[in-house]
Amino acid sequence: MTTATAPSPRSDPARRGIVEWLTSTDHKHVGTLYMCTSVFYFLVAGALAMVIRAQLSQPEMTLVGPHQYNEVFTLHGTAMIFLFVVPFALGLGNYLIPLQIGAPDMAFPRLNAVTYWLFFFGGLTVFSGVLVNGGAAATGWTAFAPLSGIKIATGGGQDLWIAGLLMTSVSGIFTAVNFITTTFLYRAPGMTMWRLPIFTWEMIATSLMILMAFPSLAAVLAMLYIDRHLGGQFFQAGAGGNPILYQHLFWFFGHPEVYIMILPYFGVISEIIPVFSRKPVFGYTGLVLSAFAIAGLSMGVWAHHMFTTGVVANLFFSGVSFLIAVPTGIKFFNWIGTMWKGSIVFATPMLFAIGFMLNFLIGGISGVMVASPPIDFNAEDSYFLVAHFHYVLGGGSLFAIFAAIYFWFPKVFGKMLSERLGKWVFGLLFVGFNATFFVMHFLGDMGMPRRVYTYAPLPGWGTLNLIASVGAAIMAIGVLLFAYDVVTTFFSRRYAGADPWGGYTLEWWTSSPPPEFNFTSLPPIRSERPVFDAKHPELARPKG
Amino acid sequence: MRNGRIALAVLAALCSAGCGRTYGLPRGATVQAQAMYQDWTIFFYAGLAVAAIVFTLILVPLVVWRRRSEAYPPQFRRNNRWEFVYTGIPILMVLALFGVTYVEEARVERLAPHPANVVDVIAFRWSWEFRYPGHPIAVVGTPQSPPALILPLGETTRIHLTSRDVNHAFWIPGFLFKRDAIAGIDNYFDLQPTHLGFFRGKCAEFCGLDHATMTFGVRVVTQNDYARWLRSGGSSAALSPVGGPS
Repeated sequence: MTTATAPSPRSDPARRGIVEWLTSTDHKHVGTLYMCTSVFYFLVAGALAMVIRAQLSQPEMTLVGPHQYNEVFTLHGTAMIFLFVVPFALGLGNYLIPLQIGAPDMAFPRLNAVTYWLFFFGGLTVFSGVLVNGGAAATGWTAFAPLSGIKIATGGGQDLWIAGLLMTSVSGIFTAVNFITTTFLYRAPGMTMWRLPIFTWEMIATSLMILMAFPSLAAVLAMLYIDRHLGGQFFQAGAGGNPILYQHLFWFFGHPEVYIMILPYFGVISEIIPVFSRKPVFGYTGLVLSAFAIAGLSMGVWAHHMFTTGVVANLFFSGVSFLIAVPTGIKFFNWIGTMWKGSIVFATPMLFAIGFMLNFLIGGISGVMVASPPIDFNAEDSYFLVAHFHYVLGGGSLFAIFAAIYFWFPKVFGKMLSERLGKWVFGLLFVGFNATFFVMHFLGDMGMPRRVYTYAPLPGWGTLNLIASVGAAIMAIGVLLFAYDVVTTFFSRRYAGADPWGGYTLEWWTSSPPPEFNFTSLPPIRSERPVFDAKHPELARPKG
Repeated sequence: MRNGRIALAVLAALCSAGCGRTYGLPRGATVQAQAMYQDWTIFFYAGLAVAAIVFTLILVPLVVWRRRSEAYPPQFRRNNRWEFVYTGIPILMVLALFGVTYVEEARVERLAPHPANVVDVIAFRWSWEFRYPGHPIAVVGTPQSPPALILPLGETTRIHLTSRDVNHAFWIPGFLFKRDAIAGIDNYFDLQPTHLGFFRGKCAEFCGLDHATMTFGVRVVTQNDYARWLRSGGSSAALSPVGGPS
């Protein structure tokens, strides 16, 4: 890798007190807090996953009871989605967008700090359900009415779940406003829209989806609360309401949400692959347009979660869902085109990016399968579906998050994570992940439904579930090794310098960590990779 | 990692051979399931082809174009012809898959104009009630003693499905089919069994505490047995003994 040669101002060590962190409106502090908090929730949700896998490792286990099990998978899903995969992306966006566009901060720094604290307290509110009578919410991350109605979910845990998620949804909306305003108005001279880094583009598309989808989440949560406590009948059959309405409103949020959880990570992968292939990204315009194609199509696929309800236009939602494979394919072929005839460096971020592609492809293929209603009629709510969305969210987003951590950790904290340990972390996670989730395809085909705390000792079920549980344990070892790597890195002397990887985008121009207001100088911006152009003028893109 | 991928591919191939060429899925024991199975098979092959091509395209550069020197490779980008190809082929592919879905979906959803039998299925926390309109038969189960749904072989039975409380889903993996049971919504679908025997049924939509044990049995019997069973008012003594679960 190239060593740091760019002019880099030093950050001020005096600004590092705990009070400074907690009261800061600096986008880097807010972004770092976001990412660290979301990784904390990942560890909690991962521990809950271990409880799930222990309980299911053999038929008829009694490690936890049915109600506890329902709480465990509800909190696991809620935390992974609302408190980890989304906020990590928002944190990364917070940290990187101003740096990548050459801006000193976000457009609305105080609003930005508010979003973090809404997210922070929202997460605590959801988890505080474990302390109240009746326990935490136990109706799944989807909390379908009428199961989540007051007659059945009598405890306060469900209300805390509603309140906590309302806070995170408002937080997300504010963040999206901030991202869009910042990228449209605060770009450095020369940073035209068509020179924005792909990650920033993907965050714009993500923000647009958040603005369209999160209000629907806020609405459905508010309506659920009204039904529960104020005599509303929105979701009550026989009183003018309808349980299907809940699903429409929830999935009108919930499907764009799936892409809100992947587009930022498509952006991460689109940043990492060119740097470690030592080439420009293959089709910049194609990557940008495909992000907006996905964002647009994502608003018209929500009812593919409802094929089995018998009351939606299955063929329409099936057709639109198939179409999403096209822009997703464009992204894959662009990454392949970027690696083609490159000079590929197998650093840890690149390994995770490759793992992302291999895993996500499996999840994408099973996604096209379940987008066909006749297949979904069997797969829906079975372990085949559990396998599918974990390949997308775990094999996809989670691997991209690890890629992002290994890639940008040196920028954020100024020190390099261990490359040697990083490769072990990757190996353990890749093997463990595939052992855990590949077998779930077969379990689903054999008839195992999701969200069950126990299952009968049918032929093959115990063996496949045991393989999944062993895989989960391997993943857990990988995560612990990662935690060890992070802790020891803070005590190490592996200083990163401004640009440890030979990066392309502006964040690699300034020091690690960057100073307050980010830059003391900027290189000329004449392409989407100004730092590369400045360091390799002989290879810079010819004008026009 | 590459070896892992190859091992997985071999595993998948072995399984598809070992499981009687069903690609991991049971064949499905109704006329409607044949459409589901057909759809699955086509998508399975299409998915396998895409996986083979794209995995190869990902792995080739990793082997061929590892970094061998500090020099930067040619900094090329964009190629309109290739971009056209890799956009166009997926479009053609999803159009074809949509065509398959269009045909198979119609086969699954088709309702016979005059079904031979009708059964009302009512889901509730946490079991099922099966009623046979025109006959004084109502089978009500509990999680501890799951109810049995009796279906005649070769005849079309119209299922009328609803829920008494929260959302449930009526799933028979051996028939490759499920449909949600939702209060206030009447769902109708046809089942025309092609195999005698016992099939496991279960609730697929999470419905609370005893969701995991909300199961039922499906027993496909001959038409003579079915008629005798209806006349007897639902006495299991009217049925000939059948084999084990499938």
